[in-house]
Amino acid sequence: MTAHTPAVISFVLFAIAAAGFLTCGSLVRMLMFLELMLNAANIAFVALGPAVKSQAYAVLLFAIAAAEAGVGLALIIALASAFKTLDAGGIKELKG
Amino acid sequence: MIVTASVYLFGGLAALATLLMLFQRNPVKAAMLMLTALLATAGLYLALSAQLLAVLQIILYAGAIMTLFIVALTVTPQALHDKPSAGHLKKVLGLAAAALILVELVKVSAALRGSPFSTAFSDAGTLDLARQLFGRFAYQFELLSLVILASIVAAVTLAAARKVER
Repeated sequence: MTAHTPAVISFVLFAIAAAGFLTCGSLVRMLMFLELMLNAANIAFVALGPAVKSQAYAVLLFAIAAAEAGVGLALIIALASAFKTLDAGGIKELKG
Repeated sequence: MIVTASVYLFGGLAALATLLMLFQRNPVKAAMLMLTALLATAGLYLALSAQLLAVLQIILYAGAIMTLFIVALTVTPQALHDKPSAGHLKKVLGLAAAALILVELVKVSAALRGSPFSTAFSDAGTLDLARQLFGRFAYQFELLSLVILASIVAAVTLAAARKVER
């Protein structure tokens, strides 16, 4: 096995998740696919980088993914209560 | 041999679960498929000799983040009745963009074909990883606590604003 194999696995995962992110209309689903894209990026880090340093970067990415999920879901819940919909196409105005 | 087979098995399982998510209409079932993909990724980390990452993947992604998603699905009734209603053109464009991303990434990674990858299972990585995190990456690691704190404040503020509006 060369480094090409795990790299291609992570690229395939990233592309499928990107397809889901670009084609679905629901905000929760979009956030789910975004998490899977970050997950694929993490696999690429581990597969391609020098062993320990890339794992350190992956640990930092884990924390960023957790922060992003927390803020993203809080935003989605706030949007759902304000607009009564989670369809990204149905939310057309933003006002502070 | 076992490591190579595990990489293919867990990688294939993660890709299959993510692919099935695309066609799953029920959001809760989609969340369960996402959980499968995340657990398969933990197996992949284990096969790549990243034991700490495998444990963190299960605790953080499959545990904390999935719990957040399930809670978000239960508190927003709209999420349970969502319909994947993207337009036909948008779907075609999205799939074309994803295919383009995949082709370009695979093309770029062709240079890796010759680079060897150690399939020997190593168990010495975790201590070195801890040394890196608390040594060379200490500044970034501490900075992350600020990021987490900011995200907590943001989430609480958003939830509090929602309560006041009611």
